[in-house]
Amino acid sequence: MRRYFFGLLLIQLLIPTLSAQEWIVPADKKGKLSTFPFNDETRKAGEKLYSINCMSCHGTPGKANYLPLVPPPGDPATEKIQKNNDGEIFYKVSVGRGQMPSFRSVLTSNEIWNVVSFLRSFNTAYKQQVMPVITSSAYPGAVIGLLVSFNPADSTIILKASATSEKSSVPVADAEVKLLVKRTFGMLPVDEPQTTDKEGLATFRVPADLKGDTAGMVLVSARFTDEDVFGSAGKDTLLNAGQKVTPVSLVAQRAMWNNVRKAPVWIILAYGLGVLIAWGFILLVLMKLRDIYLVGEIVSSDKKE
Amino acid sequence: MSKKDKEKSSEDPKIDEILESSRRDFLKKVGIVGAASVAGAAAIYSGYRYEHAKSDGESVKVLTEDNRLVLIPKDQMKDYKPDPKRLLLRGRDGIKGKKWVMIIDLSKCRNARKCVNACQGAHHLRPYEYHINTLQMQESVNTPAYHMPKPCQHCDNPPCVSVCPVDATFKRQDGIVLIDNERCIGCRFCMAACPYSARMFHWQEPLAAEADKGKEYDIELNVPQKKGTISKCLFSADRLREGALPYCVSACPNGVFYFGDENENAVTNGTTKETVNLKELLEKNGAYRLMAELGTKPRVYYLPPKNRIFDFEKGEEQEYKELT
Repeated sequence: MRRYFFGLLLIQLLIPTLSAQEWIVPADKKGKLSTFPFNDETRKAGEKLYSINCMSCHGTPGKANYLPLVPPPGDPATEKIQKNNDGEIFYKVSVGRGQMPSFRSVLTSNEIWNVVSFLRSFNTAYKQQVMPVITSSAYPGAVIGLLVSFNPADSTIILKASATSEKSSVPVADAEVKLLVKRTFGMLPVDEPQTTDKEGLATFRVPADLKGDTAGMVLVSARFTDEDVFGSAGKDTLLNAGQKVTPVSLVAQRAMWNNVRKAPVWIILAYGLGVLIAWGFILLVLMKLRDIYLVGEIVSSDKKE
Repeated sequence: MSKKDKEKSSEDPKIDEILESSRRDFLKKVGIVGAASVAGAAAIYSGYRYEHAKSDGESVKVLTEDNRLVLIPKDQMKDYKPDPKRLLLRGRDGIKGKKWVMIIDLSKCRNARKCVNACQGAHHLRPYEYHINTLQMQESVNTPAYHMPKPCQHCDNPPCVSVCPVDATFKRQDGIVLIDNERCIGCRFCMAACPYSARMFHWQEPLAAEADKGKEYDIELNVPQKKGTISKCLFSADRLREGALPYCVSACPNGVFYFGDENENAVTNGTTKETVNLKELLEKNGAYRLMAELGTKPRVYYLPPKNRIFDFEKGEEQEYKELT
């Protein structure tokens, strides 16, 4: 391991431009293959996804109308991109680099494979290799399930993965699992992804600032990282693992900018008083005018006499 | 004839006659009314049968809101019109239990202007009318230039709302500051009060005035726009109502915008759809708010333009490059 690391370091030192130019994909990710064969259906689905997520930078494949960025995003139909094998394209789309965003949380792995299927349709020399599904060999005919429970003592969430068939139930060991919490616009990861032990158990630490609803409930979703192997087996559970949050309305306080009913008390009083004083004064003037009129009446009647 | 009647009749023959005739009249009336009501009922029933028979022939398939396909007689179809009063009240009230917050990462903005275009498309604005705009910033000669998207800051102490004389612009319980174009008198006090120049005025007939004619005014979209009134960024209140991210946030190709609910302490990036811890994001990146010293308490946070992965280009040059 150490020798391998030093070798890498040496390469980095010798050719400093290499890492800037070449996009190195980890060796274990290179050989990744799609679990399903590419056909017209996957190509069409991929085309749709491509036009939504990729076209704004990469343009239409084969037209070389990509954005003039540095480094250039490139046309996916050209040799530059097509010389990548399937696993490499899959990795680059999901991880991203520099101005190329990561699509890991935008697209599911099946959706990324559909995009790969669409890109390969521009390559006549391409022959697809399909990955044999490991699930069938490891847990033949079994239904893979996940169970999560919250332990308030040390505020951890314990996950149990098991494969249940008609005869027996065996724990799913050495599988990477992740835990997500439902938020308004997406799923918030809890802790790092963990690997299940021999009993199929994995423990996640719940962060102190995980907010729940008014009762402290959160909707927790457990999933396998490797969807290709385990399918999209997931489990959504309501757990009492969050902080209790009592939402406060932002227009609750009395303020100048709030509506009339929520105006500051001193303003209501001052305004009311001002209106009263103004009208009182007008009323006073009218009364005085009436007094003058009455005095005039008396004076004129005195004169007549 | 009862006994009482007989006793009565022996007293006076005249009264007898009157009684007799009134009884005859009464019976006649009852007969007429009875016949009429039977005829009426028959008519209504036959009409009902006719209608029933008619609508059996012409039914329409309708998809309900909960995705059920139902058959409805064609003659019973009514055009759906949202209740404007309910829309208005809903728009003024806001979404309960939410505190919207936006984070703009300046290290990622490279002036793609997709946010601007998406917003103008949604709110039917001209290319030079902005709810959100990307500005070219440079604090001083020796500091680097950068691009800065600037929407309305949806302040928690909004000066624009304080000065509105007609209660046309208002703050909602979820933090959004909206404007009701039906109430607005176009005095532009709010434009003068806003330190962020986030508001625009319709000097001319709005872009889609013809196309939007007769449309129900949606206070959460400011459409149809009205000449002589103010329009402003709404945090895409109509999209939030549906649980979707705002127009600008989901249109950005570079992952500049995060949007979310402060009560959940989580924000979601519009490009990568990654959800992150809000407090951590602000703390790790040294977030700041525009002109916080004014005490306006903006709900929009900025992450400083550090470690940028692109060179600053002037907008015009860049557009020219894209065209050629």
